[in-house]
Amino acid sequence: MSRRYDSRTTIFSPEGRLYQVEYAQEAISMAGTAIGILSTEGVVLACEKKVTSKLLDNDGSAEKLYVINDNMICAVAGMTADASILVNNARVNAQSYLKTYNEEIPCEILIKRVCDIKQGYTQHGGLRPFGVSFLYAGYDDRYQFQLFTSNPSGNYSGWKATSIGANNSAAQTLLKKDYKDDLSLKEACELAIKVLSKTMDSSNLNSEKLEFATLSLSKINPGQVIHKIWKDSDIDSLIKESGVLDDKNTDDD
Amino acid sequence: MDIILGIRVADGTIIATSKAATRGISILKDTDDKTRVLNKHNLVAYTGESGDTVQFAEYVQANIQLYSMRENDIELSPKATASFVRNQLATSIRSRKPYQVNVLIGGYDTKSNTPSLNWIDYLGTQVELPYGAHGYAAFYANSLLDKHYKKNMDVEQGLALLKMCLKELETRMPIDFKGVYVKVVDKDGIRSID
Amino acid sequence: MNSIAQRFSHSSTSNVLNEINQAQTEFAGTPQLELAPTIQLPPISQPTDFLRAHTDDASNPDCKIKIAHGTTTLAFRFQGGIIVAVDSRATQGNWIASQTVNKVIRINPFLLGTMAGGAADCQYWETWLGTQCRLHELREKERISVAAASKILGNLVYEYKGMGLSMGTMVCGYTKKEGPTIYYVDSDGSRLKGDLFCVGSGQTFAYGVLDSEYKWDLTVEEALYLGKRSILAATHRDAYSGGSVNLYHVTENGWIYHGNHNVGDIFWDIKAQEGSFNNVEG
Repeated sequence: MSRRYDSRTTIFSPEGRLYQVEYAQEAISMAGTAIGILSTEGVVLACEKKVTSKLLDNDGSAEKLYVINDNMICAVAGMTADASILVNNARVNAQSYLKTYNEEIPCEILIKRVCDIKQGYTQHGGLRPFGVSFLYAGYDDRYQFQLFTSNPSGNYSGWKATSIGANNSAAQTLLKKDYKDDLSLKEACELAIKVLSKTMDSSNLNSEKLEFATLSLSKINPGQVIHKIWKDSDIDSLIKESGVLDDKNTDDD
Repeated sequence: MDIILGIRVADGTIIATSKAATRGISILKDTDDKTRVLNKHNLVAYTGESGDTVQFAEYVQANIQLYSMRENDIELSPKATASFVRNQLATSIRSRKPYQVNVLIGGYDTKSNTPSLNWIDYLGTQVELPYGAHGYAAFYANSLLDKHYKKNMDVEQGLALLKMCLKELETRMPIDFKGVYVKVVDKDGIRSID
Repeated sequence: MNSIAQRFSHSSTSNVLNEINQAQTEFAGTPQLELAPTIQLPPISQPTDFLRAHTDDASNPDCKIKIAHGTTTLAFRFQGGIIVAVDSRATQGNWIASQTVNKVIRINPFLLGTMAGGAADCQYWETWLGTQCRLHELREKERISVAAASKILGNLVYEYKGMGLSMGTMVCGYTKKEGPTIYYVDSDGSRLKGDLFCVGSGQTFAYGVLDSEYKWDLTVEEALYLGKRSILAATHRDAYSGGSVNLYHVTENGWIYHGNHNVGDIFWDIKAQEGSFNNVEG
């Protein structure tokens, strides 16, 4: 039945559905998990690296975390190649806003602009939609720290803590249970590790399978946003400090 | 020979514009308001080529109001407003038919509680100033303001200083400019002064 | 504006003429297919420069084409509505082309437009404005406001700014919402609302009489006389204004025409009656 309607993104099925968009969302729910948590001191983004190989020769930079501008970063779930098109677009948009208004673009405006592009591919052109969901962490002087997600349909929403990609419903259940409004950034990081350790398939957690980034405010320069994409060594020590490995060991015993 | 003048004081910004609308050797109107309200805390005053002035002011007014409609009634700050206007004029000067318009933007930033005065000319030059003027008025008023402007003046003192400027302009300008409209932009928005 | 445009344009009058000659010889050599459709284009690269070079009296007094410019028109608001008065002379350079020009364009039964500057420009665009106003009426089931009508014209002429349009016009009308209203619109793109305007080469002379006698509380009869008298003053002093005076009164029920008054006739009557024009013997 659906065969007649799913080859074109722009045509509704008799049940009023857009299959191509749904398939794109389906593809993402199998991609590596990414979670984001808002805290009083900043935002954490953490994601699971799916492809790891000893033979893979990269420079150690993150694959799924991108810096958009001075006060926004994002994590990707889905097709990385599609993501890079949108990330590039977001970066250009952010700079163009900065050029026109001499002010950093407010997070929601930028997200809206990216989502307008995504939406376009669900309606006209006869092309396939973008196969990516994003987690955006940002800061602006209107709403301070913010966490957003967006999906291939072009919808976006704001969250205190959320997750996209594989096992996202399990991750969200855990987040719902453990999230508190007064988390410090450190506690948020540890919560992120804890949730990932439970939702990821692999048994032993280490920096090879994780990417981590935080957004916070400078203590020296008020109003200045610091975004940090973590080095492997930092991730490993966080894992150690969080004690998730110890829990596992005791479980094993 | 239009006069536009602006003075920033501690708690607001004062904008004065002449009332005369002149074409050739006739004054066609003595109640012409050379300002447009951009949003609650931003006022633009303009001079320049007739026709271009109003078209340009109403164009930026529409765009700034459109921004607020799209972004849940969020107001563009004075700095962002001035940058936007500068950007429009800087783009225009390289076009086939540039807008020949000079503006002053009086604004009040409700986030940081700071008043501002932005001076922008038709070439796209933008500066944030404590006081400023365009056209012939600048030749008389600037020196006077250099002498008498003090930091941390309040609106009352600013209006007294403006009065001095206007007295000088009335005695020295060769053409009657039919008095001025005076407006103040402060934390409560934009208001006219009699 | 013109002086700036001139400074940056390289084509002088002789250059344009050379260009035309060159283009004409080129076109003459091209074999034309019989019965094939052709489009006539001005054989010049910059029509605006061309028009300016040949019609702008101010920058080039020797220009070949003289657009009808000299005029006196006036309109003012008062207690009883609006008075519109105009002269009727059309001049092309020093040549009086006509003494019986109708310089008030009846846009519709409630709107009048006056004509100063290029006669063709005013006539064409004000009749065009009439169609726009009618379309507004059909679409909105309501008569257009004077503000909106004048803005349509103002935006239109602004689109053509710098391309040679020459118009100075007053859009006069009466609507329930606005009352009696006058907007001055010119080809620079200016649009001004006001109580009293005089436009044209004789404007200063008309202002002289009108300003000295104008009061809001004028009766209709007094106001009509003042309008007529002001145009007469202008026709007397301005060589480019003359012929006769056309008078209109705009009320809430639309405009009323108050006749054509030959300047040659009314001058002597008024002189005798007022004891004015004492510089003239007779």
